[in-house]
Parts: sequence; C-alpha cells; structure tokens
Amino acid sequence: MAMIEIRHVFKWYDKFQVLADCSTQVEKGEVVVVCGPSGSGKSTLIKCVNALEPFQQGEIVVDGVSVGASATNLPKLRARVGMVFQHFELFPHMSIVDNLTIGQVKVLGRPRELAREKGLNLLARVGLSAQAEKFPGQLSGGQQQRVAIARALSMDPICMLFDEPTSALDPEMINEVLDVMVELAAEGMTMMVVTHEMGFARKVANRVIFMDGGRIVEDDAKDTFFGNPRSERAQQFLAKILHH
Amino acid sequence: MLAGFDWSVIPASLPFLGQGLLYSLQLTVVAMTGGVIFGTLLALARLSGGPVLAGAAAVYVNTMRSIPLLMVILWFFLIIPLLTGKPMGAERSAMITFTAFEAAYYSEIMRAGIQSVSRGQVNAGYALGMTYAQTMMHIVLPQAVRNMLPVLLTQTIVLFQDTSLVYAIGAKDLLKAAEITGRNYNRPVEMYLFVAVIYFAICFSLSLLVRRLNRKIAIVR
Ligand SMILES: Nc1ncnc2c1ncn2[C@@H]1O[C@H](COP(=O)(O)OP(=O)(O)OP(=O)(O)O)[C@@H](O)[C@H]1O
Ligand SMILES: [Mg+2]
Repeated sequence: MAMIEIRHVFKWYDKFQVLADCSTQVEKGEVVVVCGPSGSGKSTLIKCVNALEPFQQGEIVVDGVSVGASATNLPKLRARVGMVFQHFELFPHMSIVDNLTIGQVKVLGRPRELAREKGLNLLARVGLSAQAEKFPGQLSGGQQQRVAIARALSMDPICMLFDEPTSALDPEMINEVLDVMVELAAEGMTMMVVTHEMGFARKVANRVIFMDGGRIVEDDAKDTFFGNPRSERAQQFLAKILHH
Repeated sequence: MLAGFDWSVIPASLPFLGQGLLYSLQLTVVAMTGGVIFGTLLALARLSGGPVLAGAAAVYVNTMRSIPLLMVILWFFLIIPLLTGKPMGAERSAMITFTAFEAAYYSEIMRAGIQSVSRGQVNAGYALGMTYAQTMMHIVLPQAVRNMLPVLLTQTIVLFQDTSLVYAIGAKDLLKAAEITGRNYNRPVEMYLFVAVIYFAICFSLSLLVRRLNRKIAIVR
C-alpha cells in the first residue's frame, strides 16, 4: 500500500468547490511534485493530507490510517507527518533549539536532554549549529526555512509535506533550502512538494502532478511531464514558468 | 494655605495605611491573575466553542461590561448572605467580585491577542502533532500575552484604581485606611491627600512602564 493515498477527494468552501475528484498516491520513498496556477487548490490538497483542512467527500489514507475517519486520532497522525510551510512558521517566542525540541518533548514525550541533543544534531545537519540559541527573528528567511525543515524532522516523520517552501525567499536563498530537500530525497524520504522550482522537480521528483481549478489534470512520471504533457493547460503553464 | 496642615499624622498612621495598601495590592494581584485566567477561558469559549458555549460567554462578558463595577460589588456583597445564610467578609467578597468583573475586560483583551496570532502558527502547532490545548498553551497564548502586554498592564492600572471602590462595602483597603485614620486623628484632608499621592505614584510608574514596553514593541516590529 502506498504511503499516501488520495481517493476521489472533493472539498467545498460553502458552495465554492476547491477540490474536485482528486486522486493520486505517493509510494514509500517517492518524491511527488505538485504544481499549477495560483488558486488551483495545491495548498488545500496538501493540507488535507494531514487534516489541517477537512474535506467533505472521498478518502485520504496515510500509512494505512484514514485521515477523514472520525475515529482517527489526528494529533497522533500529524505527529508522524512532517510539514513545512511557505512562511516558515517557526515559533517566534522560542529560541531555535526550543523550536526543535518542543514537539519532541510535548508530543512524543521524549526527555528534554535527549530532545535537545537530537535538535542540535539536526541543526548541524542543516548547517546552522551556530544559531541554536538565537530567535527566529534574528535569522534570514533561508535559515528559518532550514530550521523549519529540521523541526519537522525532529519528530522522525514517515513522510514530509512541503507547501511552496521557497516561494517566500529571496532568490539567493532558494538553493540553500532546496539543497537540504534534495539531500532528504536522496536519503529516501517520502515527500509531497508543492513548488514551482522545476529544477528541483527535474532533479529529484519521481512524478509531477499538475492541478488546475481544483482538479488533478496531469499526473505523470517526471520524464513524461517535462517531455510531453498531455493537457494544453500544463503545456502553457510549463512554457510560462520555464521562460521566467 | 498649606501652613494649616498637620503632616505629623502621616508617620503615625503609616503602619495602618500600609495594611490597607497591602490589601489593595493583594486585591489587584488576585483579580488580575484570576481575571486573566478566567478571561482567557472566556475568550477561548467565544472564539472556538460551539454556539452555546460561545453565546454564554458573550452574554457574560457583555453583561459585566454594561454594569457599573460599584453595583456589582454591592449586589454580590448583599446577595451572598441571602443565598447562603451567612455573611461573607467584605475583603473576600471583593476579591471574588473583582475577579469575575475583570475577567470580562481581560477576556476582550485576550480575544484580540489570540486573534493576533496567525492561522499559520496554529497550523504549525497542529502539524507537529499538538492537541488544541497544547497548541493554545505553548504556541498561541504566550504570543497573545506578549502582543497584548501593554494593554493588559493598562487594564491592571485601571483595576488598581478601581479597587478603591471596595470602601463602599467596608473592606479595609488603602482608601478605607485613610478614612479611618483621618477620622481618628481628625485630619481627613491630609490623609486623603497623602493616599492620593500614593495612588498617583503607583499608577504613574506603571504607566511609564507601559510606555517603555510600547516603545520596545514598536522597535521589534
Ligand atoms: N478559507 C477559505 N475560504 C474560502 N475560499 C478559500 C479559502 N482558502 C482558500 N480558498 C480558495 O480556494 C482556492 C484554492 O486555494 P489554495 O490556497 O489551495 O490554492 P493554491 O493552489 O495553493 O494557490 P497559491 O499558488 O496561490 O498558493 C482558491 O480559489 C482560494 O481562493
Ligand atoms: Mg498555496
């Protein structure tokens, strides 16, 4: 069974349909890139995976657990799914190292010392050991996003969700974040990544999903997507962002 | 004109005034602590409870905010003996009344504070696997309090001034102590002047603190 299975998901805000019959899956160890024009429902879809957004119809199963089922313990499920946000969302009132330990201590019940050690190791891994005692506001955007990735990893997630992790960054900081993500992919992390960084997609994605108007209109192996997308919308979209 | 004043009564009455001031400060601290805690619960009920809970909290807050504090103090003091059959000390009665009353005001401040924390922060807490209570406790409320600190302090200054109203039910606060000593020494004007200076000194230094906090926040932003 796939790590993430999305089956015929529909979602409405009141009468406004944001997701229409979305189905796809992410196998263990796979990297799937989601792209599409603004407002096409990419963020909404990825937030449905860890139930930050509810959906009205269909089913999403993460590692065998049905996200929409009322019996599902959502905090427990979310603790196993890492998420990285467009605007980092580090906790501004905590030091960097505290950002990396709070989840481990409060959610996983790890002893504080152990959590701290793990946090510092992860910080070293994203190249930010020197920043441990600083506060998020003192870091650059790229540094903050690397900390946010480390924070998600501190929970030992079974898969990771990224919602436009580099689109709020200055151009010169994009690569330092993408490098961490490429490394993560190389280690076999299961990843679902909303991004318009097609260089990243070419390098590490197994599949690329193209969304438009709340629908998944293209779900191809990477080479097919870049070589010869079937839908006209995807072709136009690619032409537009690749010529940027 | 000041020549007619006899300031010698002040040193003599200091211990008694001190007791009164102590009670005024206790009342302020109790009503602030209880008011912030109870007010936060009211704010959470209004923001995220079901319609019944949110409605009940809204009715409570709006009712308290529409009644003069003095009336709440008097009513509670008079009604409790009728309900329980035995009187409650004025000091204790005032502490309960003030906590219940201030909760309404603190709850409005906390509501604004909670709303000042972005949805993204809440999602980040949830995404780590935190429960609603953990997300509030560790992520939202600390930021809400930090954002609202100047306003919370200003409300506390108002609260401290309002504690003088308890003299209406005979609780021995700073003002009551001044009244009693003023009467005993037959020097009411000196005593009232002196406690006015004390109220002013405390409130003014607190408001200076608020101003400094505001400037600091402006810099951080
Ligand atoms: N809380 C909400 N209430 C109503 N409509 C919403 C809400 N959140 C999002 N939408 C709408 O749902 C649609 C999909 O939004 P979503 O954020 O998923 O798009 P997106 O593909 O991530 O876009 P972007 O590239 O701009 O991030 C948009 O039309 C948006 O206006
Ligand atoms: Mg989005």
